[in-house]
Amino acid sequence: MDKKECIVLKDATLGYKKTNASISILKHLNLTFYSGDFVGVVGVNGVGKSTLLKSLCGLLPVLEGEIFIDEQPISKLLLNELAKKIAIVLTEKIGGFNLTAYDAVAAGQMPYTNSFNRLEKENRLIIDQAIKICGITAHQHKLLNELSDGLFQKTIIAKALAQQTPIMLLDEPSAFLDYASKHDLFILLRKLADEENKCVLASSHDLDLLLKYCNKLLVISTTSIELISVSEAKTNKVFLEIGGGFI
Amino acid sequence: MEKNTTIKFLILICLLIVACFLSLFFGGSEPINFGELSSNNFIFWHIRFPKTITAIIAGCTLSVSGLILQIIFRNPLAGPFVLGISSGASLMVAISILAGSALHLFSVFFIGKAFIVLSAITGSLLITFLILGISKKVNSNVVLLLIGLMLSQICGAVQTALEYFSDANSLKSFVIWGMGSLANTTNFDLLIYLPIALISMLALLFFVKPLNALLLGENYAQNVGINFKSSRFYLILISSLLTGLTTAFCGPIAFIGTAVPILSRMVFKSSKQHLHVASCLLIGSIILLLSDALANSAISNISLPINMITTFIGAPLVIYLMFKNKTW
Repeated sequence: MDKKECIVLKDATLGYKKTNASISILKHLNLTFYSGDFVGVVGVNGVGKSTLLKSLCGLLPVLEGEIFIDEQPISKLLLNELAKKIAIVLTEKIGGFNLTAYDAVAAGQMPYTNSFNRLEKENRLIIDQAIKICGITAHQHKLLNELSDGLFQKTIIAKALAQQTPIMLLDEPSAFLDYASKHDLFILLRKLADEENKCVLASSHDLDLLLKYCNKLLVISTTSIELISVSEAKTNKVFLEIGGGFI
Repeated sequence: MEKNTTIKFLILICLLIVACFLSLFFGGSEPINFGELSSNNFIFWHIRFPKTITAIIAGCTLSVSGLILQIIFRNPLAGPFVLGISSGASLMVAISILAGSALHLFSVFFIGKAFIVLSAITGSLLITFLILGISKKVNSNVVLLLIGLMLSQICGAVQTALEYFSDANSLKSFVIWGMGSLANTTNFDLLIYLPIALISMLALLFFVKPLNALLLGENYAQNVGINFKSSRFYLILISSLLTGLTTAFCGPIAFIGTAVPILSRMVFKSSKQHLHVASCLLIGSIILLLSDALANSAISNISLPINMITTFIGAPLVIYLMFKNKTW
């Protein structure tokens, strides 16, 4: 499949904006992510993995420079257009208010529904498909806050799938999963990159899984940030440092 | 719509009709018989009728306002009364009654009413935005409620101080108003009350999708294409308008805004907010109508304060939910 530039960062500085100051976490980034890439985002806690992912989908502002999504600057994209291009899976827990797993997945179709959020037949087909792909069919009518961590994670990934975006960002999606589910998840993400030509970025501390399933790694440390192919990982000093000598 | 949902709505509509009947005919010191009902029955048309309509509007506005607040704060126990928003509205009304009588604003009836309504809405807006700012700093639902109660106490204290310095006339009108009552609204008042309430609730139709999205939290709402900042602003505006309006006409009414959305989620096991808006309108009206009938007929010849009844319904429900620690 042809590779397309999905996300391009040009001299982008990312971080938070407070009322009277902005705090830069990642400075002057120049990176390009292509369709069909499954990129593992690695770095120790607090180095800015979540900041990067949140900035890429517009949840945090770009402090300097620009991020281009499908060749359009992110600041010029309407929220609803952006929602059709990038889906994110965050670490935060949601639930309550009678929300079921199905409701959460259905929210993924919100960019495509009318202003009364009415689900038509084609919306339901896509939602059902996302539920099936993530293997939560048997649990779709359970309440979100009664799901196990693993099932909850799969539900939110199904929500991101239902959003039908060319780009998927996942913030530590494997954090609460058991061993087999972790592999299932990474196999699924690999498949999405290969078969649907999606650009997938996932941060994780499961380095061995990233080495097994990703084709690229974004290695972040406090002093550097580099995008390498998986084959280079074993010789990359920063990556080995993050691995703490156990790789 | 599922068959079950339709049946539940039909039952609620029947209950509403019964509750209207009870409030109209038994909601006073003496029951009225059908036979006495003629067009010139003063008590019926000028006391009972406006009181029943007021109960319906107040029930609708407070419940919907509570529903909006619970979703914005993602706190199933939130409501205009427990977050101190009603008290903020009351305080502003107290200030405006005092200032109004000093400036002789109330000699012209309409201007006086409009002045009170506007100040009540301003008061509820101020407290809502204050609470919103505070909610960014605390991440516990219960702590937020405690802060709301404290704000409510502060507003109450300032109000007491104001009352201390006010003259006898404005003190009296204020104390009566502050107890909360459905019976002070005349047919003429309804001409202001009803249209504004209707328009505000119709405006909510444009925000059903953001309401549904906000259930997932601000980040996910934005990721599915909802501008949560602007929607949240308009939702707060609507909620404050509804609370302020009702507080201006009826005084602070306790717990309806908290209890009704909770009941609605217990009756309809759904997360679809258009359904809950509709059911809050019905359940809110029913509860306030029944509370009114109960307040007036529980003990013969004595009309109990409406807040006493609504507190008896609402407060145990909140305590129960805290014990269950369940997020409805």
